[in-house]
Amino acid sequence: MPLLAQLDTLQILDEVVVAATRQEKRLGNVAIPVQLIQRKQIQQAGSMRLRDILQEQPGLQLVTGFGAGLQMQGLSPEHTLILLDGQPLIGRTSGVLDLSRVSLSGIKRIEIIKGPSSSLYGSEAMAGVINLITDNGVKPQAEISLRYGVADTKRGWGIPFSSQNLEHTEADAQFSFRVGKWNVKQSNNYLYADAISYRPFSQDRVPRPLSRFASQSVVQGLIGKKIDLRVLTRLSQDLFRQQFSVQNNGVTTASFGRERNNEVVFQPALTYRHSASLTISTKAYITKYTGDQELRFSSPGDSIYKDRFEQRLYRLENQLDIKKGSTSIVAGLGVQLEQANSTRYDDFSNKKENSVRYAFAQWEVKLGHKWISVLGARFDHHTIYSAALTPKWALRYQPNARLSFKGSIGQGFKAPDFRQLFLNFTNTAAGGYSVFGAAQAIDVINSLNQLGQIAERKPDFLKLSALRPEFSTGANVEINYSFTVPITTQLSLFRNDINSLIDVRHVATRLDGSQLFSYLNVNRAFTQGIELAVRWQLYKSLSVNLGYQYLETADKEERSRIDQGKEYIRDVSGAIRLMNTNEYAGLPNRSKHQAQLKLTYEPAIDRFVNLRVFYRSRWTIANSNGNTVYDHYDEFANGFLQVNLSGGFSINSHLVFQAGIDNLLNYQDVFYQPNLQPRTVFVLVRLKMPVKRTSTIQQSKI
Amino acid sequence: MRFLLVVTAMLLFCFGCNKEKLPAKVDGRSFAIQVSGPITTVRNLPADTIIGFNSIGQPVGSGRYSFFSLERGQWVPNADSNTNRWDLAFAGTVIRVNNQTSGPGLGGAFVQTGTFESLLRVPTDSVFRVDNHPVSYAIARGSGRAWYTYDGPTNLLTPIPGRVLVVRTATGKFAKVEILNYYRGGITPSASAPDSVKIKDQRFLHFRYTVQLNGSGEF
Repeated sequence: MPLLAQLDTLQILDEVVVAATRQEKRLGNVAIPVQLIQRKQIQQAGSMRLRDILQEQPGLQLVTGFGAGLQMQGLSPEHTLILLDGQPLIGRTSGVLDLSRVSLSGIKRIEIIKGPSSSLYGSEAMAGVINLITDNGVKPQAEISLRYGVADTKRGWGIPFSSQNLEHTEADAQFSFRVGKWNVKQSNNYLYADAISYRPFSQDRVPRPLSRFASQSVVQGLIGKKIDLRVLTRLSQDLFRQQFSVQNNGVTTASFGRERNNEVVFQPALTYRHSASLTISTKAYITKYTGDQELRFSSPGDSIYKDRFEQRLYRLENQLDIKKGSTSIVAGLGVQLEQANSTRYDDFSNKKENSVRYAFAQWEVKLGHKWISVLGARFDHHTIYSAALTPKWALRYQPNARLSFKGSIGQGFKAPDFRQLFLNFTNTAAGGYSVFGAAQAIDVINSLNQLGQIAERKPDFLKLSALRPEFSTGANVEINYSFTVPITTQLSLFRNDINSLIDVRHVATRLDGSQLFSYLNVNRAFTQGIELAVRWQLYKSLSVNLGYQYLETADKEERSRIDQGKEYIRDVSGAIRLMNTNEYAGLPNRSKHQAQLKLTYEPAIDRFVNLRVFYRSRWTIANSNGNTVYDHYDEFANGFLQVNLSGGFSINSHLVFQAGIDNLLNYQDVFYQPNLQPRTVFVLVRLKMPVKRTSTIQQSKI
Repeated sequence: MRFLLVVTAMLLFCFGCNKEKLPAKVDGRSFAIQVSGPITTVRNLPADTIIGFNSIGQPVGSGRYSFFSLERGQWVPNADSNTNRWDLAFAGTVIRVNNQTSGPGLGGAFVQTGTFESLLRVPTDSVFRVDNHPVSYAIARGSGRAWYTYDGPTNLLTPIPGRVLVVRTATGKFAKVEILNYYRGGITPSASAPDSVKIKDQRFLHFRYTVQLNGSGEF
């Protein structure tokens, strides 16, 4: 458990985790690999954004494009489920859930599960699961914090209140109190930032001020003695503005853009604790995401581009927990309805719908003191595509206190999403192209063909049919070893084999040469790698955490074409020759090496300094040498190193001061990482105050 | 003396293996032809370069082909288009051979997978295709079909490595041709380059070829 620099190993193993087994379990007793990020670690990093925290975790890779997405075990963002108290967050663009959107206000810890977890969570939990656990607010207090940061792309160091700089201000207020038997926790977060974006394919900076607001409340209490009621509500809104002008052949076009995203989450849960061995819980989940984009040209005044996307998810779930002796059983049933309307589909007024009925069960048994076995499976029945059965088996063996082994093998799946089924998108810019969802492509292309608009239908057109879910088989092995000196090490190996991966393929060409794309189940791919984590407590006050991931990926068809001598490459000198297997770069946008280093100096409980370094090696951007595979001579983004520094101290038990520098080396890459913010200096003040337990005191007097 | 030796050696080197022809011009744009042993390399040959945009905003050229004689290693004026003097004609991604709907010659072509160097003779079972303008061409148009891939999202065209055009010239001789690049200067713009660069620098063909003038199919 190298992540938790601040805690002793023993304490860590006592931490409770939920997501791994859908039951509260001590981390030390979980057979499935889990990483935990605690509130303290989030606070020390000085950021309230999920993006910033996950960026620093070993084995997790942030990728850009449609926001900050998460690449886990080499699988793309659409294959990792992001949960809030066990229920999925929605509102993905092109499969990416933008992690900058998610505020960590009111979140007490983050659980990271790697490896397929569809046996518990169903679709999308192919690479793994990120579960955000909200705070119940058992301890009544008020906490207010204010963060101010400043950066300057040109000068390198931001000067407050100057005109060229980029400033951000984040205010956060959390209150927890008790009303009778009820715990209430209210968290609010507001961020305003002078963010910038770069105009596509240029170095022109465009101001893109953004504001993000999030409000979350949790009400939890007992009804009678055995029933626990918990209601989570979360609202968030993001607003972006953008104003820029484009010069083309001496004509200047000024445009104004606005984007607004809203998210609502409502999650009531009833838990009935019948006895120590039997618990029944019922959860409802309602969530809605709306994204509105508008682009207006100042002249002509009527040229408005509007895009609207609305997604809703309703879910009802019932879960039974039985614990008896060394055995525990989890079983559940659920129904889900997902709906979407979008201007990106054929018509906004046409509602797209998919309903799912599912059942899952898990049987966990302890065999003596050394073995734990967990066997589980889930069945998902969909109305618009084929059903999925996903089993998983995990085993933990701990021969002694210093050594433990964990192994698991399981299936993951991802159902086709609405975009892959219904998208109807045309880019009219130079070289124009269109993308159609699989459910529409055949009809659209056939009717275009009748109008004489199609120049050719590619062989892939004939393969268009109903999309099937993507399936994967994943295996994970983890070895934990603690040396006598305070060094703990963790070595993990993983491999995911994905079948029927959905890919965008060129299926037809219009008469004007523009290409038509659609989604097909085509590829078989694998990702495999090694992850190493070392934690070394050098001195009582100084600790080092080191993380490293080595990743290999491949499209199996591409690899077999290379092995059969069917692929050629054009190397740096321009010479062409047969491609060697070792020149293959695998799936795009993957880095072979990734590393983190964290140094923490904590001389006292209320004082700390930490230095976090993370590295990502180069990754492929485009297939620039004309063959159909990514190889070493294609276009790569440079590998880079980012360093974040932060430190803090408390004046007394109420007041904490913190300051830091994000992106200390001021690494910037306008083309490939336009969202990477320049060196930012920030200060943060946090005020904590206990709230009088008025009602409880009165009760105790009586 | 030593100086003279060096100069003579340099001159010998230059004339012995490299025959640099003066840069020629097509539509005011210069291109270069370099002969090195049996291989002739043509650079920056304009192939109906972009002159503007049509009514729906697509980049267009003037619609004129660049005619080229592989046998003589020269650009051929458009006035000679209806003669046997040219072997290949280039306009954007279209390459035409001198036969049937394209010209009066004996031309033909097909696409062979493999490297330029490893193609030592025209296979005996070869079938040369001819143009049926505008329906089909001996060297097929379209991404991934003959010699190039075009990527819509990045708007870039790249020759496929390992594709050799086996050509029968207007007079029935054999040649092998490899398209090297489609952009001015012989360097494909970066995926992140502005569209204006991708448009203005495209349709400048770079290719190399070997023609067997003795009539055999051995290269």
